[in-house]
Amino acid sequence: MALRAAVLRHLRVPIQTAPWRGGASLRLMSSHDDHITKDEVIDRVLSVVKDFPKVDPSKVSPDVHFQKDLGLDSLDNVEIVMALEEEFKLEIPDKEAVKIDSTHLAIEYISNHPMSS
Amino acid sequence: MTPPLPSGPEVLSLFRSLLRVAHNFPDYNIREYIKRRTIDAFRQNRTLSDSLSISSAFSEGKSQLDVAKRQAVVYSLYAPPLKSVMELQNP
Repeated sequence: MALRAAVLRHLRVPIQTAPWRGGASLRLMSSHDDHITKDEVIDRVLSVVKDFPKVDPSKVSPDVHFQKDLGLDSLDNVEIVMALEEEFKLEIPDKEAVKIDSTHLAIEYISNHPMSS
Repeated sequence: MTPPLPSGPEVLSLFRSLLRVAHNFPDYNIREYIKRRTIDAFRQNRTLSDSLSISSAFSEGKSQLDVAKRQAVVYSLYAPPLKSVMELQNP
């Protein structure tokens, strides 16, 4: 006991102030730091559409209509939107999902969505 | 007396709900099976023309959706301890 008290009396821990980390890393809970860029969205949307079995990859461009230009039907359209949801870890509500009928609208929607990753 | 015909958006919404409920299953094989089964069934039934078979197919789909929702809860209690090899990103 006496030894412990003696040791504790002589032990000093220097106080250090935590270094200032700068603005960006302080926003720990913010989702905006790692938000994907529009170019990345375009690349990933196009690769999802190109991977769809019925699509001819050479026809896919950033402004292509799923049903008019790629010859898909409404069921394929739903499947593509679901595949995009999976790719970007989103849940697109029904009301919005029915509007997405071209790569252009898909890119717009996903790049404006705060939760896409 | 026949039930009212489901509209196009209603059918697509059922299709989307069935694909979405598949995500809730922890087991890879079941998840993929539900997706495959849903897509196949909707493709097979897209040529239906008489109102009776359309509405019976639609109500069949709705009851299957209810079954899948219930079973997703049951299967989540018995999730497989290991992931399927198909789920590994870098094999």
